[in-house]
Amino acid sequence: MRTYSYAKSRELFARAAKVIPGGVYGHLGPAEGCFMPVEAYPVFASRAEGPYFWDLDGNRFIDYMCAYGPNILGYNDPDVDAAALAQLKEGNCVSFPSAKMVELAELLVDTVDMADWAFFAKNGGDTTTFALMIARAATGRKKVILTKGGYHGVAPWTQKAGHPGIAPEDVANNLYVEFGDYAALERLFVEHPGEIACFLSTPYYHPVFDDNRLPPEGYWNKVRALCTREGAVLAIDDVRCGFRLDTRGSDAHYGFTADLECFCKALANGWNVSALCGKEWLREAASSVMYTGSYWLSAAPIAAAVACVRKMKAVDAARICTEKGKRLTEGLVEAGKRHGFTLKVSGEPAMWFMRITDDPDFDHHQAWVAECVRRGVYFTNHHNLFINTALSDADIDFTLEVADEAFAAVRRDGPLSARKGW
Amino acid sequence: MVDTMTMARVRLFAVFRCLEGLVAHDEEARCIADGRREVLEFSVGGVGAARLAIGGGRIEFLPGGGGSTIKLWFPGAPQFNALFAGEGKPIPVRGFTRLGYLSGPFTQLTERLSHYLRPRSELLSDRSYRAANAELSLHAAFYALSEVGNHDPDGRLNAARMADGGVLVAAKGGPAMTVLARGGRLETRKGQAEGIRARMIFASLDKAGAMIRGEMSSYAAIGAGDVALSGYTPLIDHMNKVLGIVPRYLG
Repeated sequence: MRTYSYAKSRELFARAAKVIPGGVYGHLGPAEGCFMPVEAYPVFASRAEGPYFWDLDGNRFIDYMCAYGPNILGYNDPDVDAAALAQLKEGNCVSFPSAKMVELAELLVDTVDMADWAFFAKNGGDTTTFALMIARAATGRKKVILTKGGYHGVAPWTQKAGHPGIAPEDVANNLYVEFGDYAALERLFVEHPGEIACFLSTPYYHPVFDDNRLPPEGYWNKVRALCTREGAVLAIDDVRCGFRLDTRGSDAHYGFTADLECFCKALANGWNVSALCGKEWLREAASSVMYTGSYWLSAAPIAAAVACVRKMKAVDAARICTEKGKRLTEGLVEAGKRHGFTLKVSGEPAMWFMRITDDPDFDHHQAWVAECVRRGVYFTNHHNLFINTALSDADIDFTLEVADEAFAAVRRDGPLSARKGW
Repeated sequence: MVDTMTMARVRLFAVFRCLEGLVAHDEEARCIADGRREVLEFSVGGVGAARLAIGGGRIEFLPGGGGSTIKLWFPGAPQFNALFAGEGKPIPVRGFTRLGYLSGPFTQLTERLSHYLRPRSELLSDRSYRAANAELSLHAAFYALSEVGNHDPDGRLNAARMADGGVLVAAKGGPAMTVLARGGRLETRKGQAEGIRARMIFASLDKAGAMIRGEMSSYAAIGAGDVALSGYTPLIDHMNKVLGIVPRYLG
């Protein structure tokens, strides 16, 4: 199988590094994206279609990162894009919102089990910050409980003390608990009586570099009862999981009801809009918080979201992603076995995490992922992966072929490909 | 924010330690160190002690107090830091007749070290100077990293997040160091230690020097392949947060 090279990406990265901090910053960049070794990865995409993207050098990849989640129906989905482009012609960023905003809010209230209202912004982090502000406005309290290893965006309060740009005061009201440890959560409420505004958590534990964990049996119902008893808001960060597990919301998927639920990623198949859905008792608090942005009510992405939510419901996107995820991950595990590797898969099949076991420092895993990328299958080595509905059986078959050859390469060469330069 | 105690520890346990490697690069320093063996002890109240054994063309750094021919005492970190600003005077405890060594050969050696650690652009065109600057700066930065991780308030927060294990920091074809984390405490050792879990490998010593001098962005360097990271990445990620604080102390 041919392996890829990336001369044009490298050339453009050199240009980028002169005028952009880090060349490519954030999760799409080589540093945060854990491109190990960097030579195995492209840096820039030129186009995308369905489950694929093509890099600047013309190499095609099956994209299992799905732009870190937004791609759920396939890149350039014709229905979603047609809706967005039609609205774009009518008007996008205007002095008044369009009727599409109301249409999307009605659709979300009808679709998401817990939703009595919906509010729109741009990124997932806009909604997690808004959720915290609403909780404070509603309760008159200031502290928030977060789970260790949870990710809720990049606003200062979501980051860690001691990190660049973060003042101790930014995180002074944060309390942390292990995901799934109900007793520890209850203890925090006892230790901080009347102080906790909100418990904010992802519906299951999906950190980077670590096995993902589903909620323990009965956990969420106990948490729900605890938050109700203590008068605290239960906010679910469904930015990553939302609609991929269940179009009704991940709280419904796991059998409980959140007070606030944050959506982004899959909401509009790559068009830039996010949503916060809430319960009736928080409507006034939400109205009272001054929270807005220049492009938050732009109509084209909202029209895209309407089309995307309708299509996700019509095709049952969550079921498709789960079924394809199961088939793919079972095949990957088998491919590993053939070469003497145990690939551990955790989390939900539609957005699974995987790592080679007996490899605590990820050396073999980084090498295997790199070998897959060189052959046209884009995985990352540190983050959960994503399935989209455009992924075909033939794509899965091709992926398994690549995985097999990549395992063979790592069995033959060891983790050397992850250690280039030493 | 710069912490006074951390500053004193960086100077005592990282900057002074770099004198060890100076003579390998600088003939003038080797000649200065080529006299009778003197052991200088610096004892700083609330900070700790370290010794420099100088003689026979060699310099050896010895952490902790012990046998010495000249012993200098500083009541605390501010007094020790003042010495570096040219304002403070140590209190001699031992070697009263040898104090001339302090203002003579020892001062000359520290000036030679500054010559390499504080580079002027016109000097950097010289290949051997660049190599000396790069190696000594690499040592200074990563010895300082452990002091910052163990004592600076922000450094401690980040060091505490590091899992146990070692990060190998090396330049291809050049020097190697290991930053060992254990229970949130850091220790920097020369060479490749046991228990390496992650690696930060510079494409060359020259690239390492360019990055430490701030001529090259560390994030862009990763993308360009000038520094290769591998292994248990969270260790490197947290270590880099500590490394980001080091210039406050060495700048």
